[in-house]
Amino acid sequence: MTLLELFRWFDATPISVVIRNSTYIFPVVEVFHLFGLTLLLGTVTVIDLRMLGVGMKRQSVAEVAGQLGPWTMGAALLTIVSGILLFLSEAMKCYSNAAFPYKMWFLLGALLVYFLIQRRITSPGSKVGPFALKTVAILSLCLWYGVALAGRAIAFV
Amino acid sequence: MSLFEICQWIQDTSIGTSIRESTYVFPLVEATHVIGLAISVGTITIVDLRLVGAVMKKEPVTDVIEQLQPWTLSGFAAMFISGILLFWSEAARLYPSYSYRTKFVFLFLLGVNALYFHSKTYKSVHQWNNDAITPFGARMAGWIGITFWAVVIFMGRWTAYNLK
Repeated sequence: MTLLELFRWFDATPISVVIRNSTYIFPVVEVFHLFGLTLLLGTVTVIDLRMLGVGMKRQSVAEVAGQLGPWTMGAALLTIVSGILLFLSEAMKCYSNAAFPYKMWFLLGALLVYFLIQRRITSPGSKVGPFALKTVAILSLCLWYGVALAGRAIAFV
Repeated sequence: MSLFEICQWIQDTSIGTSIRESTYVFPLVEATHVIGLAISVGTITIVDLRLVGAVMKKEPVTDVIEQLQPWTLSGFAAMFISGILLFWSEAARLYPSYSYRTKFVFLFLLGVNALYFHSKTYKSVHQWNNDAITPFGARMAGWIGITFWAVVIFMGRWTAYNLK
């Protein structure tokens, strides 16, 4: 199965057809995508700013990351589930869209950095130094805002 | 001169026309609006969630509010300026939109909510600063903030579909 055939299959699922044939489902799902994005980027940014040492300095890195982390993950789940619905309804448009693959690569990178590195080095008892924290925070900010910018670009390219 | 004619005049100014017809400026301004939204409403929501007792319950309320405020204000400035530029370029198209008008009613109510919270409820913060469950007034301010901002986002996004 080629990528094109896969995207054609996504484009033809019953969910895709239902969303496409409705006037309201797509905008409503997009609003939930935006709710998720706001909370996801908001909480990730605060965690990253703490790791950079420029925000919430009265709390430790582990306190900020530990308490906001569950909200980041909940918001990521909402954003990804609503994103999958949006994608299914216009898979062929995404296939030929120049910004869409960038968004997906940024997203993959952001999720890998978050789950494989960031969660580990911000957990209580982590002995990682400020330089490593700052490097990962900058990487995280670039990747998540890359997702947002490339996502916004889908509508314009 | 009616309000609609004023909007038409704003949209027809050279700046309005330049933004609207530019390949890059309009998308960049819109991207700034979304990023400003994430930073300002994202941090506001963290404060509101603290007030309703859902997040950072172990941290003093003043720590959460004072330390996030500069980021909320920076994000808000980005959102406000980019919002003015977006309005400038499409004023006459936005004027008749009911979702756009509703958005501003709720933005006004959010302003009243924030003003009331900071001038009344927050004055006694030293009495409940470390409480996981804040007083009724603070919890109300938090819930109003969360739901009204959701309405603003909904109406803002809806406006793009509503345009004729």
